[in-house]
Amino acid sequence: MNKMTIGQRIVFLGLLLLGGYICLLPFGRGPSFLDFLKDEPPPSPEGFDLEGFSRIPVLRGGRVKPLDSVARNTLLVLRNKRTALDAEEKKVSSIDWLAQVLFEPERADQLKTFLIDHDQLLGLIGKKLAEDGKHYSYSQLEPFLSQIETTAREAGKTEQEKRDSFDQNVLDLYRGLLLYRKLKHTLAPPPVPPDSMESLREMGVEQYFFDPQNDPDRTAEYRRFKELTQSVSADPAKIRMGGPDFSKVVFFVDHYSRANLWSEFFPVPPQAGDLKRKWLTVGQSLVGEEPLESSEKRKMDPVVFMDTLRELIELPTDQLKNRIASIRANQKMNPTALFATQYAEAIKLRTEVDPVLGLYENLGIAYRTKDFTGFNNTVAELREIGVERAGEEASTLSFEKAYNGFEPFYRSSIAYVFILFIACASWLFSTTSSSTQKNGGTAAMLRDSAFYLTAIVLLTHTFGLAGRMYIEGRPPVTNLYSSALFIGWGSVLLCLATEKFLRLGIASSMGSLIGFGSLVIAHNLSLDSSLNPSGDTMEMMRAVLDSNFWLATHVVAITIGYSTTFLAGFLGIAFVCVHLFGSISGKKTRKLDRTLGSMIYGITCFSLFFSLVGTVLGGIWADQSWGRFWGWDAKENGALLIVIWNAILLHARWSGIARVRGIAAIAIFGNVVTAWSWFGTNMLGVGLHSYGFMDKAFNPLMWFIVSQLFFIAVVYLPALVTRFSGRNNQFPQSPTKA
Amino acid sequence: MSSTDHKDSYKARNAFFWLAPLASVRLTLVLLSLSMILVFVATLEQVRIGIRGALSEYFESLVGIWHYPEQFWGGEFLHHIPLPIPGGYLLGGLLILNLVAAFLTRFQWTFKKVGIQLIHLGIIALLVGQLVTQATQEESRMQINKGESVNYLERFHGVELALIDVTDPERETVVAIPQELLEEGQRLRHDSLPFDLIVKSFGVNCDFNVSPSGSTREGLTEEVDRGVGLTANLAITDKEEDFSSDAMNFGYLVFELTHKDGSLGTWLSLSHPAGNHWWKESEKLADFAFQPIRHEGRLWGASLRPKREYLPYSIELLGIENEFYQGTEIPFNFESDVVLNMDDNQTRRALVYMNTPLRHDGKTFYQYQMNNAADYTVFQVIRNPSWLVPYLACIIISIGLLWQFLWHLVAFLQKNSSKSPKGA
Repeated sequence: MNKMTIGQRIVFLGLLLLGGYICLLPFGRGPSFLDFLKDEPPPSPEGFDLEGFSRIPVLRGGRVKPLDSVARNTLLVLRNKRTALDAEEKKVSSIDWLAQVLFEPERADQLKTFLIDHDQLLGLIGKKLAEDGKHYSYSQLEPFLSQIETTAREAGKTEQEKRDSFDQNVLDLYRGLLLYRKLKHTLAPPPVPPDSMESLREMGVEQYFFDPQNDPDRTAEYRRFKELTQSVSADPAKIRMGGPDFSKVVFFVDHYSRANLWSEFFPVPPQAGDLKRKWLTVGQSLVGEEPLESSEKRKMDPVVFMDTLRELIELPTDQLKNRIASIRANQKMNPTALFATQYAEAIKLRTEVDPVLGLYENLGIAYRTKDFTGFNNTVAELREIGVERAGEEASTLSFEKAYNGFEPFYRSSIAYVFILFIACASWLFSTTSSSTQKNGGTAAMLRDSAFYLTAIVLLTHTFGLAGRMYIEGRPPVTNLYSSALFIGWGSVLLCLATEKFLRLGIASSMGSLIGFGSLVIAHNLSLDSSLNPSGDTMEMMRAVLDSNFWLATHVVAITIGYSTTFLAGFLGIAFVCVHLFGSISGKKTRKLDRTLGSMIYGITCFSLFFSLVGTVLGGIWADQSWGRFWGWDAKENGALLIVIWNAILLHARWSGIARVRGIAAIAIFGNVVTAWSWFGTNMLGVGLHSYGFMDKAFNPLMWFIVSQLFFIAVVYLPALVTRFSGRNNQFPQSPTKA
Repeated sequence: MSSTDHKDSYKARNAFFWLAPLASVRLTLVLLSLSMILVFVATLEQVRIGIRGALSEYFESLVGIWHYPEQFWGGEFLHHIPLPIPGGYLLGGLLILNLVAAFLTRFQWTFKKVGIQLIHLGIIALLVGQLVTQATQEESRMQINKGESVNYLERFHGVELALIDVTDPERETVVAIPQELLEEGQRLRHDSLPFDLIVKSFGVNCDFNVSPSGSTREGLTEEVDRGVGLTANLAITDKEEDFSSDAMNFGYLVFELTHKDGSLGTWLSLSHPAGNHWWKESEKLADFAFQPIRHEGRLWGASLRPKREYLPYSIELLGIENEFYQGTEIPFNFESDVVLNMDDNQTRRALVYMNTPLRHDGKTFYQYQMNNAADYTVFQVIRNPSWLVPYLACIIISIGLLWQFLWHLVAFLQKNSSKSPKGA
């Protein structure tokens, strides 16, 4: 590094700046690292404050998150991207899209929200990939809804393992359409179908419905319903079969309960005094939650139901609350009593229309009428109420919003490609180094820049992991997706350390290769509809995994074991490349071979340590929670295979049975073993760890295994060549030796 | 290596020289490679025969026979070739021998190597512990309804025929006939039984269906002329035991009761895999939980039920809690609130939830299943007398790893400090 020429220095600095730019700074006017440091921009009076809108807290997938995450994650499911397209195929930002879906669904229906790239599925809706493209709007799909539904139901009957790609695609599309419709109706309950309007008019219900001509917004309907329930609550005698007011109440409780099913997220924050801190849908905020599935209503005894309900309504409020709690705890098999508690709650306990409903209505009106100040003020109010009522759970909202925009893993993956490119270039220059001194210097400069760039990317990658940990409040590895992120991170970190002592460009290139590969795998995992149905990679943990201590020790150790075994395997591949190159160009590579051999050895020591410790810790966890240390579960066995394989490598080396070439071959097969343990075991769909079932990965896994076997074959190829050709050379030499 | 070292190890080798072939690293490598194959094959086989099937075929045996799976590439042809796979007991035993022999002949007790020795000692302990566990561990289940108290465990596999005299409301007499005795053609007699029992047919799993009334039954239930088998007109077909994790094995038994005056009739009894109280859900088959047999003024009941183990204490369920993350189907808590009633009138309250089982009397009760609507909980109960061994092994291994690490660290630091003056 000391003897760089001026030209080399300029290139060196240029490369570092470019890498730093990719890792940290904005592309165009997009988000950057600075977003975390800056305060939120003040809302402009000449536009919608979508920045603030995207930070409104809601609950989806069991976690309080900003609307921004809801928008991005749903688009990820629907379109595999975090943006939508308008009719002219121009990008629409996710939050803009969500605002339209929630407040102006007619406009949102025209946006190209759905990705369909399966030719037979396109055939179903009469389109061709080559002519019509692969992006479709809801309005384009609407005429085919019933057809898609019947086909999807048919596909759903086949077992998951036996579905073909058409079945899987039509199911995904159907689920996507449902998701989209639920999103549309989250703030606006679906209207009553027109054909049942006639009978409703006879019942006298019609006049209660929201009337766009005369009512300012939907809360008018909600208030009329509350007046109705109050009149019933004041006069329990109205609760009788065929009583006109009571049958209206019954209709609305039913209507709003059904609306609960059409809610993709929970917009109403927990009410003060709710110990369980439950978020509510619009319907739940009006009438509470159905205690059982609606179909159980058929099992009710109507006479007993009326009597129970009347009795409940006659109780004073405090006693009523206790009575409801006791019925729900002790009469779980009694649909009559259970449904009576819901009605009693709707009639007597939920007397007010939650102000949040009104605010969302105002927001919608302001959006449709382009009233910027109205919109921006309501956003501020909603955020204030939301954050106040959500309490601690809303503390990471702004960070999450900035984190979403920053996309650290996307940046890192681009930077890894960049590094790989530089490291390969350094090899090219070093092969010509013997002829001219200048090229040797350039090679060294490139190796140095690859090293420093790796350090910079690692910052971004680390920040990405740390950000997830901060948002989730969990150790780094919680699911298959995050294990991929972590495996890449661990390998790159180790490569950085190796490259610090052995500046050969090999560790840099292999590290960036693994880093890039694991991030691509992670991205594909986030798109997998069976692994990640909600599009949120920060999903909640199942009860059995809900232990930060074991996640932080066992899971992290095992994952480091994976990443180090992969690294050893990729160094084995590097050995193959170097060796092959050496035998073609006729250069001596013995010294490099030996260095690679000791790198593989050192990393495998690491790897055996971590996989052994991780496996043993897993055993202790299993003993703590299930009473047995080892249960031969598929994933446990996978980890055991890695331990054994690493032990084989080390023993083969210590005893001298395998030399550098053998070590490299064993290390490459370690890739196969690790890939099996990481993904293969999940595909079996058996055992306690089968939380990540997926079969789409089957073919990629097979190709990966075949490629590794190919490398192992290649590593022995030069040996075969020298054996056959070497035999002829040996005879003349032997007399001199003797 | 110094020459004295060499001599010492030579001496050691001399004393146990006959063990040398057993101690070779090549053998270790072969055994480890075979273990890879065993573990891989047994994992694959879990799809076909379940975890318990894979255990008994591969891990708890000397040799297992494997057929290449039919649905894989080339399966139609390769499937027919039986491949012997060395089993867990064989490889585990040989590995232990190999390690012990290596200890005696090759390992050197120098400070430098103590870490390595300890790690291998720990691995021997792990292997031995696992072999003992595999041979002695018992798994059962315990189901408790809310407000009730239960003092027995039910085995996951194996059934027994219980004949219960309930004439006296104060005192029940139970005669339980274990599965091992239920062999076809066997005549069973017991002092407490006023009749003899002849086993007509028995199997651990079957398909059963209600044939239309009036039609005649054929096959296994042809002779049944009493009880539910008759009233529900059941026909059954024998099935192989299913070892998969969600298996439903309905055991069946056709038995005749005889008396000195002749036959009392032939009954069919079915055991429900999730517990016989489930029969009560079905109107026609409800009596399988308890088939009444009247004889000489006494009322007996027969039921084929999962094999039971009675405990000197009982567990009472006060309540359960089953919570999900809001708006998802991801559970975040399964919890049972129980009271342990011990025989000396002592009681102990306990909360059993994920990662926190109840341990008592050498048994571990962990939260296994739960039904919120029907208000019952199911514990999986494991008795593992050698549970301490893996912990000891882990401690030994950790000390070994730490020693090895420190040794290298010290060596590294010494090397560096001896270098630096030169550089300066």
